[in-house]
Amino acid sequence: MLLELEHISKIYGDLHAVDDLNLTVPEGQWLSIVGSSGSGKTTLMNIIGCMDTPSKGTVTLDGRVLNDLNAKQLADVRKNEIGLVFQKFHLVPHLTALENVMMAQYYHSVVNADEAREALAQVGLADRAKHLPGELSGGEQQRVCIARALINCPRLILADEPTGNLDEHNEQLVLDILRKQHSQGTTIIVVTHDTAVAQCSEREIMLNHGVLVGERWNDEQARQRYEAQGGLPASTGAHLEGVLADDQTIQRITKQ
Amino acid sequence: MVNIHTAHDVSNRRMFATMIRGAVFRRRSRALMAIVATLVGAATLFCLAAVCIVVPQQMRDDMRSFGANLIVRASDGGASTQDVRTITQDVTAVGDAQSATYRYENVRIHAAPYMLAGIDSNDVQAINHHWSVDGHWPSNGHIMVGRDVATALDLKVGSTLEIAYRADDNAQFGSQTQSTNQAQSTNQANQGQESTQSHSRDGRVSTDILQGGGTKFQVGGIVDTGGNEDDIIYATNHDVNQLAGERGVDVIEFAVDADADTLFSMSQAIAAQDGLSVPVSARQVSRMTSSNERIITMLQTLFWMVSLVVLALTLVGVSTTMASMVGQRRNEIGLRKALGASSWSIGMEFCIESVLYGVIGALLGIGIGQIVASVLCQTVFDRSLPFNPLLALITVGAAIIIDIVACIPPVRRAASIDPAVVLREE
Repeated sequence: MLLELEHISKIYGDLHAVDDLNLTVPEGQWLSIVGSSGSGKTTLMNIIGCMDTPSKGTVTLDGRVLNDLNAKQLADVRKNEIGLVFQKFHLVPHLTALENVMMAQYYHSVVNADEAREALAQVGLADRAKHLPGELSGGEQQRVCIARALINCPRLILADEPTGNLDEHNEQLVLDILRKQHSQGTTIIVVTHDTAVAQCSEREIMLNHGVLVGERWNDEQARQRYEAQGGLPASTGAHLEGVLADDQTIQRITKQ
Repeated sequence: MVNIHTAHDVSNRRMFATMIRGAVFRRRSRALMAIVATLVGAATLFCLAAVCIVVPQQMRDDMRSFGANLIVRASDGGASTQDVRTITQDVTAVGDAQSATYRYENVRIHAAPYMLAGIDSNDVQAINHHWSVDGHWPSNGHIMVGRDVATALDLKVGSTLEIAYRADDNAQFGSQTQSTNQAQSTNQANQGQESTQSHSRDGRVSTDILQGGGTKFQVGGIVDTGGNEDDIIYATNHDVNQLAGERGVDVIEFAVDADADTLFSMSQAIAAQDGLSVPVSARQVSRMTSSNERIITMLQTLFWMVSLVVLALTLVGVSTTMASMVGQRRNEIGLRKALGASSWSIGMEFCIESVLYGVIGALLGIGIGQIVASVLCQTVFDRSLPFNPLLALITVGAAIIIDIVACIPPVRRAASIDPAVVLREE
């Protein structure tokens, strides 16, 4: 398995942002983490993305236990293994689209302008390379963000609400890019509350108040492959008291 | 392999420069704040330092025109021209100096004895700018009389009078002349002259003897110093030689650009000089020297205090600006860290950026400081201020150090930013 989460919890005082979650993700899988605001999905993404550490439990990425790593080692894992896509893009405003992509190369290893241009071309922005983020539309900025995430060929793409600020047309453009990456074998984990985006993935898990409340497979073949690899369903040792999961989602999961 | 590594280093260095350039030149308003903060400090520092380097020199020059600070007295008929030259060479070897010689003779006017001093008008005027002269300084055939003498003899500019010289007067009053010479030199140092005052009143010695005749001179000017000069008649050396015959000078005054210790050493060295035709004694005029040095010390202390305040204010200004920039760039810093940037890398970027602000601010500040200092020197001291490259280098260095020190707290804050927290704050 590329990613293994064992009984992980993130606790802030009395608040359990993520509560006793078990999850395994094999290489090449497209997983969606769904849930309403405050459900703990971004916290989970930060833990998977080595930007946060769990209060309890173990995170293993490609066989490497992350709990034991210091800040610098976590930064190394981040830049070598993970590509990050944010809802609000987080482009550096005083660098051009090309320079924003090259910046990820700079912190990773070696800057190569040709490769950065190629990455922009892959997301359809070859002619916008010299533009500053302020001169780009939201969809274009998100595509620059994706090009930046892809430039170092990460094994895992973590996307937090990648279409949250986009119109329908740009949403489709971004999803097409993710589909293309997935078809090339890249593991993708998307955090979203958008049903349409979640349905593009092979597998969905749902969180509510930090607790896993459901799991659903959108691709039966993917499920079979996963189980053949020895993959187990996501599970939790916690239970939600007095809180009901989003009705629509439960309904959807129940139908399975 | 080495070439590949070199190419990689070059491309990464170029990217680093691009990021810094982008931060500085594409975020002009923010960069401008940091640059202006440094500029103000650098300009003030450079201007103050430039002026404070010039002012002591100007002070010394000015003080040298307000009287002598070293007086050499000769006995036994006065120092010869060669003696004067030798002593002057000794003095000028230590520092810039202006000198004036005095030859004193007792003369009679309307049978009353007066003191006549033979001088070179230009030399005496150069080191006695504070003398108030109504009319002209002595020239051949024209004398300058002290205010008290003019009052006693009812003289005005343009009046004529006869001056008689009697060799036996100078022999008779030899000891008095010696005493007067000594008193005169003391007077040049603005010190009291108790002995002469006990013998004279309104410039007249009390032992008047009725005897007339002599050489006619026209009063060219009346000098008023409020000191013993008011009791003396000044004529050119030429006229005194014509009147009393040629001999050496009794007193040589120097206005030397030197401190008190140097003057003391010099006075001892001159007194011990054995290559002169007559014995001489020398002493410094301590009041003039010490007041000069006191003012310069006060000015320099003031400069250092103001400089420290300016440096502290610059430090606070730059630090505040950098802190503000870090605050505004929290998301960017969080993003960089999320992309794998180390805290050291983030810190270095901000430090280099800060140094760049320091260099730009310092260069602009030096330009402005030079203009302000030049205008100040021209207006107040009436002298030009040449550009001081060493001072400029020091200013740039100081600005860079200040900017680095100022950016340490903001950089530490930037380096400690948690990417997860920042990126979550959407």
